[in-house]
Amino acid sequence: MTTIHPDKATAEQLAGMSKGTGRDVEGVGDGSLVEDPSRRPPLVLNNRSFGEITDIVCGYAENKPGLWFWPLLLFAASLAGLLPVMIGYLVVTGVGVWGLNNQVGWAWDITNFVFWIGIGHAGTLISAILCIFKQNWRTAVNRSAEAMTIFAVMCAGIFPGVHVGRIWFAWFLFPIPNSNAIWPNFKSPLLWDVFAVSTYATVSLLFWYMGMIPDLATLRDRADRRMRQFPDGPRLIPFLPLRVDRVRATVYGFFSLGWRFSSRHWHRYEAAYLILAGISTPLVLSVHSIVSFDFATSILPGWHTTIFPPYFVAGAIFGGFAMVLLLLIPVRELFPNFKDILTLRHLENMAKIILATGMMVGFAYAMEFFIAWYGGNEYELYAFLGNRVNPQTAPYWWAYWTMIFCNVLTPQVFWIRKIRQNPLAIWIVAAFVTVGMWFERFVIIVTSLHRAFLPGEWQMFWPTPVDILTFVGSIGFFLFMFLLFLKFLPVFAMAELKAVMPQASPHAHDDDGDHEDSHGHEIQAASQGMGYAAEGGADQDSGQSSGQDSSNTDGEAR
Amino acid sequence: MSQDQCPSTKGKKELPVAARDLPELAGRPGTKVWRSVEEVAGTAHFRDFVEREFPAGASRLLESSRRDFVKLMGASLALAGAATVPGCRRPEQKILTYSRNVPEDIIPGKPLFYATTFPLPGGGAEGLVVETHEGRPTKVEGNPLHPVSQGKSGKYAQSAILGLYAPDRLKFPVYHPPSRGKLTATWDDFKLWAGEHFEQFDATRGAGLAIIVDKKSSPTFEAMKSRVMARWPRAEWLAYSPADAQNAGEGSRIAFGSAMRDQLRLDKARVIVSVGRDFLGTGEADTLAHARQFAISRNVDSNASTMSRLYVAEAQVSETGGQADHRFALSPTQQAAFLVEVARGVMDAVGGNASLAAALANQPTLTNRGFTDSHVDAVVEDLLAHNGQAVLLAGPSMGPQLHAVAHAVNRAIGAVDAGVVAYQPMSDDEASASSIGIRTLARLAESGAIQTAVCLNANPLYDAPADAGFASVWEDHTTVTLTVAPTETAAGSTWSLNGQHFLESWGDARATDGTISPVQPMIAPLYAPAMSDIEFLAMLSGEESPDGYDLVRETWSDLLGVGNLEKAWKRALHDGVVAGTARAPAKPAVNASRIAEAVAARRLAPAGDADALELEFCMGNLHDGRYANLGWLQELPEFASRVAWDNPALVSPKTARALGLMIGDDPNELYTRDQMPKARMARLVVPQTQAQPDRVMDIAVWVCPGIPDNTVILHLGYGREVCGRVGTGVGFNTYAVRTADTLDSARGCRLERIRGRYTIASTQNHWSLEGRTAIVRDVDLPAWDKYGKKVKPVPDKIYGEPVAELNFAERLGELAHTPKNISAYDNPYNAGPGDPDPDQRVTDHLGRQRPPEFAVGPQWGMTIDLNTCTGCGVCTVACQSENNIPIVGKNEVAKGREMTWMRVDRYFTGDTDTPESVLLQPVGCVQCENAPCEVVCPVNATIHTEDGLNAMAYNRCIGTRYCANNCPYKVRRFNFFDYQQAKFNGDYLGESIMPLGGPKNVNLIPPRLREQLDEISKMRMNPDVTVRGRGVMEKCTYCVQRINRARNEMKLQDIVPDEMPDGFFEVACQQACPSNAIAFGNILDENAEMTKHREGGRSYAVLGYLNTRPRTTHLVKVRNPNPKLRDPIADPFHHGGSHKSEGDHGGAHGSDHGDGSHAAVFDPGKKVEDAGYAMSLRVLGAAAGVNV
Repeated sequence: MTTIHPDKATAEQLAGMSKGTGRDVEGVGDGSLVEDPSRRPPLVLNNRSFGEITDIVCGYAENKPGLWFWPLLLFAASLAGLLPVMIGYLVVTGVGVWGLNNQVGWAWDITNFVFWIGIGHAGTLISAILCIFKQNWRTAVNRSAEAMTIFAVMCAGIFPGVHVGRIWFAWFLFPIPNSNAIWPNFKSPLLWDVFAVSTYATVSLLFWYMGMIPDLATLRDRADRRMRQFPDGPRLIPFLPLRVDRVRATVYGFFSLGWRFSSRHWHRYEAAYLILAGISTPLVLSVHSIVSFDFATSILPGWHTTIFPPYFVAGAIFGGFAMVLLLLIPVRELFPNFKDILTLRHLENMAKIILATGMMVGFAYAMEFFIAWYGGNEYELYAFLGNRVNPQTAPYWWAYWTMIFCNVLTPQVFWIRKIRQNPLAIWIVAAFVTVGMWFERFVIIVTSLHRAFLPGEWQMFWPTPVDILTFVGSIGFFLFMFLLFLKFLPVFAMAELKAVMPQASPHAHDDDGDHEDSHGHEIQAASQGMGYAAEGGADQDSGQSSGQDSSNTDGEAR
Repeated sequence: MSQDQCPSTKGKKELPVAARDLPELAGRPGTKVWRSVEEVAGTAHFRDFVEREFPAGASRLLESSRRDFVKLMGASLALAGAATVPGCRRPEQKILTYSRNVPEDIIPGKPLFYATTFPLPGGGAEGLVVETHEGRPTKVEGNPLHPVSQGKSGKYAQSAILGLYAPDRLKFPVYHPPSRGKLTATWDDFKLWAGEHFEQFDATRGAGLAIIVDKKSSPTFEAMKSRVMARWPRAEWLAYSPADAQNAGEGSRIAFGSAMRDQLRLDKARVIVSVGRDFLGTGEADTLAHARQFAISRNVDSNASTMSRLYVAEAQVSETGGQADHRFALSPTQQAAFLVEVARGVMDAVGGNASLAAALANQPTLTNRGFTDSHVDAVVEDLLAHNGQAVLLAGPSMGPQLHAVAHAVNRAIGAVDAGVVAYQPMSDDEASASSIGIRTLARLAESGAIQTAVCLNANPLYDAPADAGFASVWEDHTTVTLTVAPTETAAGSTWSLNGQHFLESWGDARATDGTISPVQPMIAPLYAPAMSDIEFLAMLSGEESPDGYDLVRETWSDLLGVGNLEKAWKRALHDGVVAGTARAPAKPAVNASRIAEAVAARRLAPAGDADALELEFCMGNLHDGRYANLGWLQELPEFASRVAWDNPALVSPKTARALGLMIGDDPNELYTRDQMPKARMARLVVPQTQAQPDRVMDIAVWVCPGIPDNTVILHLGYGREVCGRVGTGVGFNTYAVRTADTLDSARGCRLERIRGRYTIASTQNHWSLEGRTAIVRDVDLPAWDKYGKKVKPVPDKIYGEPVAELNFAERLGELAHTPKNISAYDNPYNAGPGDPDPDQRVTDHLGRQRPPEFAVGPQWGMTIDLNTCTGCGVCTVACQSENNIPIVGKNEVAKGREMTWMRVDRYFTGDTDTPESVLLQPVGCVQCENAPCEVVCPVNATIHTEDGLNAMAYNRCIGTRYCANNCPYKVRRFNFFDYQQAKFNGDYLGESIMPLGGPKNVNLIPPRLREQLDEISKMRMNPDVTVRGRGVMEKCTYCVQRINRARNEMKLQDIVPDEMPDGFFEVACQQACPSNAIAFGNILDENAEMTKHREGGRSYAVLGYLNTRPRTTHLVKVRNPNPKLRDPIADPFHHGGSHKSEGDHGGAHGSDHGDGSHAAVFDPGKKVEDAGYAMSLRVLGAAAGVNV
């Protein structure tokens, strides 16, 4: 691994070859929470300096990735390649290539849509709501979670787009003024979906991108510095006088919008960030509520349920956090130093959220039965008992019980602290929850549709290979995008991360690991615009030093 | 600068007006009136223009030479000739329009209606009126003037359009000399050959010549027969139909001494006992009349006291069995025993012929007879109690002696005297026993006594009994076959000749009551030259170039007298019937002693068991197989099993389980395991009596409740090998195990499971109502008598009902259990808009003052009477024909993607092994006033019209399918593929026309090329209805094209829309329905028949509690059980607990299937009819057992 690092010790440490500076705080070495509430573990371990943080985060974006990267990217790309092939086949041939029929008009298409939209929830929730509630631990996960949101919403957007029978007329959905004065039907929840999802996608993208601007500027500055120092640096394409660093500086420079780390910039940035957080917060609640209206406003037993909006939101947070964990726990392993930033404390916090939201969806599942019984509607009661629960009558009982097992039972292991603190166990539970959340949507959509009011019209749904490969393709696309994100963009919000580190506190100078009052520092630092400014300065310093030092060690290797 | 853009004159013609040509305007003195700048300017062009009266070039034609004129005229005449594409074909002889008001000249865009006749296969006729658009027949309707069909039509007649335009029809003669292979030939070639060939039989006076003709009733055909027989008296003549009622004919010979066909008046009957006779179903000539009469006898609205009671003992679950008040599932031998015991009981009571009574008494009592003494006693008692109002009917699988016994019984119980049964003589051809005739013919051929065989429209190579040895005979002789569609027989003949479809030929037909009606061509033969059967026979008899028109007129001049001909002819062509040709029915005497001899000669056979199954052959939707290429009939599900595109062997669930032929234990698994349901394959072994080898075939086995145990039902007509793109290779050829011994039924058969699975396309994958009795409501007659006319006031105007009361039917369903509709918001629809005040004014969203919604103008509505619907499916076919609905093929049906807008749901009640009855429910779009589909469509593609239709804008639909998901009736149909281009058998058109290596995917074929695929079959399309493409949702719109046509007509006739007379027009399903179960009209018209139904006590809205307010309402089915056999349900409003185990709540799906929901829903505690709110504790208290 060729890196540009300030010194040999740090280089080794970053490469995972040494244990670090030996400045671990006893008892909180892995960042996991302890019984003593007064001894809260730090958000960044190993007493990293600002410079080290910059090096860690930027290092992965700047250097060649590990050997695991290319095979994984190729795998993801080949899966993603299925998506255009399957969609092309669908568009050319007709929706009949899926397993749908007259009774089950939606199945995997809308299941996948709701699934991905749900995944897309965690990012904005972590960014916006946790920001407003000043949950500082979010800084370690918000960037990657937001990226995940963007990619998940992209995946989600595909399915309603291609599930229509005449894709070439899908633009009828948009209120485009026309001479016939034909407008979309504003009473249709499907139309609300169009607005809700597109708004959510836009705001999430803005939020993600805006939060990334200072970090992009840091990457730009580092590239720029190297470009000047090593005019003969590596070429992007052999034999062409186009240097990697120049490309990087140009691209990052373009996207950092002239960010100069000035106090005025920080001031504007802070204000805009808060405004966007304020805008995003209701969107987090609205988008899945509106998606749930597709079902709740219909008259189909199993869909026609007023509990759906909160239930869908809780489920989305549940599924979204599971996906964050599913992605970040391997990332933590693949990028060794990330363990200092993404500590067990973060994982444990998210595990707790999973436990809480898992119980919310479990409650919602139970309430459906209660309301069906209490409402006295035979069709509704049958939709739940006859179509889902009872293996004797319900052909899809296995889907329902998979959902219950994955979503309600599996997260209960998080009551045990040992499991909450074990990344592997968390990852397994997250995997189960992700599967369970897909099945939840499948159960809601397919089991309600396949046996509705008139028994004479009952019909099964079985997926075709096209159904399955389209979904696999969307997973591939999602992974592919996330891998590109890991490679080219700052995976952690460096600026924000530094603001919650003890050093950001104006009177934090102790290096002895006394972090007893770190919590207080965090709040103080985060609430001070000056904290960021100071951090920006530190950033520049460390960047400079790293550039100088690396010239000795790595110039030749590159 | 003006420039000439016309390519022909560009640069050649001189153009006058160019700015630079204009002279100066200045310098002209004084005021002058001027017409244009040019005039003022006084150019040479303008002077020329003013002088000429007509523009330049106008006089050129006059100036041209005579030669030029002739050239022009010639060219335009040639063009007119070229324009005679198939769409413009008109028959050359004059035919008269049906409606007198329509002028003789065709108005483009306006259809004309002509009367014609559908000669029923096997005899009989249906009178038709055919809608033609610019000389192109598109839709078949019944002729109201025809005495038998009376404006109705069967599914075969409805599908005739499809047969006419089948692209697979024979198009030219094919000569197949054994040495040279098949050669394309012309009719002239054939005539040359025939002239030489048939001359040899003049010497032998016809010996050595065999003529096989399709059985039909037609005076001209008979006349042609006598002409041919006059030329060759020693020729063998066989009127052949594989599924003729041989036993019935033989039975009438025993009873009366000559072959008679019974003519029923079921409307006069109050007790009908049918032993295996499906008089409402397919295969009988009088089905339409039976359905109509039976419906009258079941009318409870006007005369409940005379409602008939129907007992059916049968093996297959037929339309008739579905109507039965008591259905006994009996194997063929058990049916025979049942008939004997009933006859014995009647004869013992009535007295009469002692020898007959003795012969009946001597018949053994079966050990395993499937019915009890009390069943027989009750039936006998009922028959005797209704002397002159009762009838006993024997089915085709009963032996001849049992038919004779039935005749004797009918005589004894006064049915003949009272006219419930009468008899019509049958002609020799009608009465001929085909299986015996074909065997005789085969023997003659084997012995070398036949050199040449001629076959007209029959297909014995496919459907002759398997032991007749017909195939080998056909191969070695000179054979000539004339058919319309390709058949196995035509393919195997020396000469295969293309015939004329009945819609393109002249002819006539005789209905079962003797009425003669004309067959007139609607269109010139599509593949001319072609010959109709009468023309062909005339040619055989020696006529040079026979003309069907003249042949029919000749015959008629013999029948009607030459003087009357012209007037009668015109009248008959206009009316579609020849008035006064009906015969008075006969009441022949019964020869009891001969019946006694016949009965004594044949002893009852023992019933089958699991080792020796019984087998019954039934006629399915394809008749005997002749309609196998008609996609509408292939896709029409079989009545009981709802299987389309196939004829699996049907057995009861218990038998399937015992033979290991069921997939899984629960029958439900048959439908839920795969995307397309799969059946197991089995080998069917049918033993033969006369030292012949067993007949064996491999067939898929499917489960159907209601079939007696140890009995196999086989449907005829499938497994065609030479048929066309639709029917070839569909299903199993069951003629392979049908021999002269086992024409109708067989005993001692075995079904052995073999390897393999087989896809079954079923349109309905569930048997049970799952306790949802409110969907298909049925009650017993006593309950209807007691409560039918009463209404029950309810506290609020709920769910769109115009009055705050529940009628009888509504009290049976959810509304009786639904608490008062309390909402935070006042639902404007709950104010009772079903009865809005037309004088009131409301402000609409644009600020205009107008009457409230649905208050004025015709507001369309429909009622469907579940009491008279027989489930025959003709509504489905009629709808398909009217609305250009595509068929989708077997695989697509198996996936649940059938496109039919109108369907008939079928449910069994009772438990799976012994279902008690069959419930039927036709469902099309019910046109909800408060439609769930409309609100969810994101693009406003489905909207409500002012006259109450739920309309579809196909152009606007993008195909989200949300509307279908939200439709509680599941009546919306989605075009998953481009079905209009489909080849109907699961594949697509296109593979055949694409060059090798072309795209496999039909959608990649350019549309222009796709359009060329099939010019002919496109002609069947109704030009008034859009042809929907891929990705669009479609559904029933109450035939909106007919509504619009009627609206235009009303404007022309100056009728105020509000005052449109009832029955001004009919919708397609209503028009076809033989039992008048469907009524359609204006719900604001108090005198309309539909409104009377709608406001009667039996009308209820399916799922009305959802507040969808459907415009189509269903009428409760009323059954008339015999209290001796089953206690009528006294209190129909009391749910749960009161029913006996065989009560009418479904749950037929195995012991553990559906019972849970039943108990949970209809528990007595929910029967709260007071003003309590759902949320109030009173309901909870009631639920806990407090009786309110």
